Amino acid sequence: MMADRPKHIGARVQRFEDTRLLSGSARYVDDIRLPDMLHLSFVRADTAHANIVEIDTSALADLDYATWVFTGKDTAGLSMKAHQDYPEMQYSEQPLLAEGKVRFVGEPVAVVLAEDAYKAEDAAELVFVDYETLPVIGTMAQARDPSLPPLFDGWASNIIVQRQMKGGDLEAARAAAAHIIKRTYSTQRQAGVPMECRGVVASYDHADRVLTVWSSTQMPHLVRTYISEELDLPESRIRVVAPDVGGGFGVKGQVFGDEVLVAWLAMKTGRPVKWIEDRREHLIASIHARDHQHTLEAYVSADGRLLGLKADITVDNGAYSTFPFTSAGEPGMVGKVLPGPYDFQAYEATFRAVATNKCAIGTYRGVARPSAVFSQERLMDDIAKELGMDPFAFRLKNMIRQFPYKNVLGFSYDEGSYAQSLEQMQALLAEDVTEAAASRGSSTKRVGVGIACFIEQTAHGTPDFTRRRVPIETGYIAARVEMSPDGEVTIDLGLQNHGQGLETTMAQVAADALGVNPENIYVRHGDTLTTPYSVGTWGSRGGALGGGAVHLASLKLAAKLKAIAAHLLQAKPDEIELSNGNAYVRDAEQRFIAIRKLARAALRNVDQLPEGMQPGLEAEQRQDGPRDGTYSNAVHAAVVEIDIATGKMKLRRFVVVEDCGTILNPLVVDGQVRGGVVQGIGSAMFEHFIYDAECQPLTTSFADYLMPLAPEIPNIEVHHIETPTPLTPLGAKGLGEGGAIGPAAAIANAVANALDVGVSSTPLNTNAIWKLSQHLRGAA
Amino acid sequence: MIDITLEVNGKTKTLSVEPRRLLADVLRQEFGLSGVHIGCAHGACGCCTVHLDGTPRLSCLTFAAQCDGSAIRTVESIGGPTAEHALQQAFRSEHGLQCGYCTPGFIMTLVPFVEEMVEQKRLPGDEEIREAMSGNICRCTGYHGIVAAVRKAVNLGLGGGM
Repeated sequence: MMADRPKHIGARVQRFEDTRLLSGSARYVDDIRLPDMLHLSFVRADTAHANIVEIDTSALADLDYATWVFTGKDTAGLSMKAHQDYPEMQYSEQPLLAEGKVRFVGEPVAVVLAEDAYKAEDAAELVFVDYETLPVIGTMAQARDPSLPPLFDGWASNIIVQRQMKGGDLEAARAAAAHIIKRTYSTQRQAGVPMECRGVVASYDHADRVLTVWSSTQMPHLVRTYISEELDLPESRIRVVAPDVGGGFGVKGQVFGDEVLVAWLAMKTGRPVKWIEDRREHLIASIHARDHQHTLEAYVSADGRLLGLKADITVDNGAYSTFPFTSAGEPGMVGKVLPGPYDFQAYEATFRAVATNKCAIGTYRGVARPSAVFSQERLMDDIAKELGMDPFAFRLKNMIRQFPYKNVLGFSYDEGSYAQSLEQMQALLAEDVTEAAASRGSSTKRVGVGIACFIEQTAHGTPDFTRRRVPIETGYIAARVEMSPDGEVTIDLGLQNHGQGLETTMAQVAADALGVNPENIYVRHGDTLTTPYSVGTWGSRGGALGGGAVHLASLKLAAKLKAIAAHLLQAKPDEIELSNGNAYVRDAEQRFIAIRKLARAALRNVDQLPEGMQPGLEAEQRQDGPRDGTYSNAVHAAVVEIDIATGKMKLRRFVVVEDCGTILNPLVVDGQVRGGVVQGIGSAMFEHFIYDAECQPLTTSFADYLMPLAPEIPNIEVHHIETPTPLTPLGAKGLGEGGAIGPAAAIANAVANALDVGVSSTPLNTNAIWKLSQHLRGAA
Repeated sequence: MIDITLEVNGKTKTLSVEPRRLLADVLRQEFGLSGVHIGCAHGACGCCTVHLDGTPRLSCLTFAAQCDGSAIRTVESIGGPTAEHALQQAFRSEHGLQCGYCTPGFIMTLVPFVEEMVEQKRLPGDEEIREAMSGNICRCTGYHGIVAAVRKAVNLGLGGGM
């Protein structure tokens, strides 16, 4: 037996990227400074719906410094097009700079460039825009009112898209039901808020016709493709770099008009151009998230079996469609995921996106699932209550236990630990449940326990996008692994790392296959010049698909190393093992050669190679997701304490039991789960992007848009079950988003439990809790 | 324009600044200190925290012109390019950072807190640690790893182990 063969996958390896992040040496987009750079400041719409009568830029001529100004007349024809090929869908196109009309507060109307960022901002304030205001479409009800005019010429109504998905015999389920429970649930509008706002720098080399764009994005290759198509430049001459990115969470997982615009301005002015988004711009005009209303009707048998579910789903999309997931993505996802971990075979969902004079909805961690799971899991508690059943028992009775499971819409679920995770959670909460029940007698302080069970389709592959006809089109991730003559390894990865620890976890994966240490592997990413084409980091696919691509590419490389080693050690390739930086002959450990010597042979002393073998040590792999994705599962639980007199709620405990298949690095997995949970707590209790009746935004700074802060957050308890999936090379399922999906549902269920009331909406801030506990103060 | 002299991370430089120019921008642009991050520019997130004459200060709410004659420290001076300070090491081992954007601000807020606890010879409870970082927003970690890192760094300072 060979001594001490380290296994890096699954080890708690500290992150390599931390050194530059901790020391202040990281380079974010605002750290890119180029000679002769111009700074951009936007003139943005300050009214939500208006015709542009005139844009007067004459005041700029009086300034004692140079400025450049551009309006929609200059950029006419350039726009963001995010069309999903549904026959029912009405298309909205957003010009890079407004042409004739503005449709939300914050929409870019003009840009001013100057040699100093402060001066560009001063000058932008001198641009006068004369608006003829129009009535706004401000609510879902107004958007669905056929008597109100549509936001776009040629539209029949403000319903952007409405479709159905169904499976099984819903009428039979209704007829067989002893109980019909109907409820309406809603989740509020939010912003995604990475701590680094977005930003773009572009530079154009006229001699070589090469455009370089630095952007704080999760998807550099898609930015390249969109710019290429819109500005009619070959992709070969566009380099998009995502440098260090200060959080993304899906917000930076779309292509934005400003990325195209800054590139165009660099070409137009012949000078590098920089735009750094400020926090107000981020809050009002990047993208928003959630803003759902779901009406659910459940059909349940007398003994508590879920027979069928009918859903009506509306998302307040705002004015425009975002690329590449479009306005149909958010409500469609709800329809797709509502069946959840429960076993029933009759379902019908009607989903629609409606247009209002607000910022567009885009992808944010969990993408529709936090809202869907809020409704699904509130409904489970509401049904259990109506039937007089225990919420754990009701869920366990209806939970899927046989795998693979074909759900009512035909999606195939790979193996998970749905019931096991809930049983584990039940044991973890036993004392809290007892305490909550005992507090029912109190009219001053109540304790509540709430759970949320969910599954998450992750790492879905090309067939899922083809089925939905969505412009993302594909879902593969590519990796290229290369060994240099000194035996060091470089991975060029199609993912972009913005906090997920990929520079470490991908090195762990390659280290196991290549028999070298993770420290000898350098992971590069986020630069289209060096990395193979990929869709970027989103949809919880980094570990599952990126890890799979790195693993398989590394195995190809390992096969070549083994062939060279076999030749030099006079053994057969299948007798060679790679470990600890050496190639050994199995069961003859004294016969070995250092891997770096094999690398030298492959690249420099090529006369040592077996006859006919080509020099070189590199391998590439593209890993697409499985047809229906791979399903992670989790149970979240919240224990809350509510002061009845004030409505003040304390989150005492938050517990997660999760299953994401094979764990690549427990340090990173725990961090992803905990970080996601606290974003979910933000959704549940604090964050709310508010518009007034005229669609003026009211929460445009951190003074009004409340983020979860450390004192309000408990330590998050995380427990793991590992059910590896056969559908990805390493058995890993997606992990990045799950943490954010359950908290709103779990906390709402805890509030409902504590106060013995129905809870139908978020956020559950102090004001909301105070209102929900009114009946208890009345009794006191 | 106003002439000011700043001692930044031990180096003294005299420069001419507009009165309105923020300390954060001057540190980033004139001193090349990219570890000073701007997260909100309205004093609510703590990303831009630096030490002004030994005290944590939001450099996005401070004009450079106010700082004439002051000594300023940024994250670059805390543990050098390999981040050797005990708190930085603890951030690494306890996974107190993910994207890293808020991290320099947390380090600058919490280094004096850790030093104060060590001086007082006491290990603070989690609630007190969380209160000490209530002026900083982290969007990635959920604060859990940061709390653990502070606990570990104080413990080490008190001569304890993990």
